[in-house]
Amino acid sequence: MSEQNPAGPAVRIKVGPKRSARPRPGQAEQPAATAIPSTEAPEQDLVTQPLGATVEDMLLWFEVRNFLSMEARLQDECRFHEWVELFTDDLTYWMPVVTNRVIPDLGSRVMPFGALAHFEETKATLKGRVSRLDTGMAWAESPPSRTRHLVGNVEVERIAGRDELRVRSAFILYRTHMELDEDVMAGSRDDILRRVDGQWRIARRTIVLDQSTLLAKNLAVFF
Amino acid sequence: MTAYMGEDPVIVSRLADGRIVAHLNMCRHRGNRVCRADSGNARSFTCPFHGWTFGNDGRLDHVPGLDEVYYGELDVASNGLVPVGQLDTYKGLIWATWDRDAPPLLDYLGDMAWYLDLVLDRREGGIEFLPGVHKWQVHCNWKFPADNFIGDSYHGPVSHKSAWVSGFEGQPRRKPGYGYEGFQISPGNGHGLGARWAESPEEYVAMGLPEFQDYDRARLPEAEQRLGPVRAWKISPMHATIFPNVSILWQGGTIRVWHPRGPGLTQAWGWCFVDRDAPAPMKKIVRLHETQRHGTSGTWETDDIDNWVMSTQASRGHVARAYPANISMGVGHESSFPELRGRIGKFQSEINQRAFYSHWAEMMASEGRWPALERGGESVAERAAGGR
Repeated sequence: MSEQNPAGPAVRIKVGPKRSARPRPGQAEQPAATAIPSTEAPEQDLVTQPLGATVEDMLLWFEVRNFLSMEARLQDECRFHEWVELFTDDLTYWMPVVTNRVIPDLGSRVMPFGALAHFEETKATLKGRVSRLDTGMAWAESPPSRTRHLVGNVEVERIAGRDELRVRSAFILYRTHMELDEDVMAGSRDDILRRVDGQWRIARRTIVLDQSTLLAKNLAVFF
Repeated sequence: MTAYMGEDPVIVSRLADGRIVAHLNMCRHRGNRVCRADSGNARSFTCPFHGWTFGNDGRLDHVPGLDEVYYGELDVASNGLVPVGQLDTYKGLIWATWDRDAPPLLDYLGDMAWYLDLVLDRREGGIEFLPGVHKWQVHCNWKFPADNFIGDSYHGPVSHKSAWVSGFEGQPRRKPGYGYEGFQISPGNGHGLGARWAESPEEYVAMGLPEFQDYDRARLPEAEQRLGPVRAWKISPMHATIFPNVSILWQGGTIRVWHPRGPGLTQAWGWCFVDRDAPAPMKKIVRLHETQRHGTSGTWETDDIDNWVMSTQASRGHVARAYPANISMGVGHESSFPELRGRIGKFQSEINQRAFYSHWAEMMASEGRWPALERGGESVAERAAGGR
């Protein structure tokens, strides 16, 4: 730098808390930095078959219902590394923005894929978000939010021609943080579940939150 | 579209002849909101209360029962929607004020407009906003986010370290120390921005993340031809606030407005912008970059938000108010730089916060008279080069 430059020479000063930021044993390693993998638009014209009142279909619904309850509990217990492994590597995790529109424009109420969204994540960036929580320096979640994900209204459909399910559910996420922050956030989820090595995994999740202007200070928790 | 100016709701319309107008979103009869949508297409707005109907140019076009119950005595001409005092645009951004006697927009921006060109005028097609706005409410005073974006690069290594190390690095790239090459720039009138400094175009490109570098390099010649080398690549801007409550984050690209809702609540609106002529894959990279770092779920922004909330809470008590906040960083070390307009401080400096709060204090005490605005004009280097 020239001596005239008032910006001056660089000075290196160690910053950050003394506590190490290395992951604790048993946790997934951190993802590669800054590669931007691709998210995919939702499939149009998905062909699905509703379940019937057969024993086989009832057992299927039971499995999926149990899976969704377990997935919610992992989040509420802050077991995010186990939670993120419930998603497949080709995941698109997407929460579009919801707007206020007059009745003739209601078809545009939910912003389409490709518009600015609340979440638009791949498995890699979701893992990155989880690993951020490990650092102990994710101040928005330090201390962590207390969450209760209540999942209901579960509808399961088989997707024609492949071993995948379309699973729709509704949720209420009750969340408190620090002393007085309290949020009740409700919405819907539209998932594609795929069987991987005999286990259900989430290959796609679209979350629609029932708020236009968000009343929460942030979306630092998952849905 | 509907928006807010301060706490007053407005309708911003583009008329059939292309003019942009803005009016208070309030019926003149009983004060009801006449347009309920965030956006749409309409030639008129009918109040759902008693049916008064206003054209999108604000004129009161229809009053039910005008003859039967008003006896034709209502002064229709003076009961249109309240227009804003002034409206002007600068390279695609629409600005308005309720004050008919306010200085013109370019005087208000002063030399900040020279810096805004870094965003708005790098390329022939300028910028476009992606569809979709993040809107969310935060229990903080609006000046905390405005302060954060005007000149706070000091907080980066601490507030945002968790994002840096988790795959969400920002650009221009930061270093985990302090005092490195860059400036906080005060162009006057309460505005401010912070930028890194590059000695060569390649150094400028290298400050971007890998996925941005090819595009940054490709658009450099056009930027240099339009803006000159200083604004094309010597400064790599990071953050800015246009007084009082509009902020810009250059990395990726977001513009946001901090709408005050009283002293303890702020409604934040955030847009993502891209070069209109950027290729589609680049626009997607920018969109993902913004979504994952900034806005409602941002790995960067969420940590900022808690700082603003907790600072507002901790400092509102009786004893707390007896201890002013400290914005003394770099006092006495401010200067100028021949290639830049405005006063400058080191990259970590609170020069811009001092400019913001002193301008705010002056405006609050002004009793309706505008303080003198600054327009520094050309930098020393520009004058020497014959103006550019």
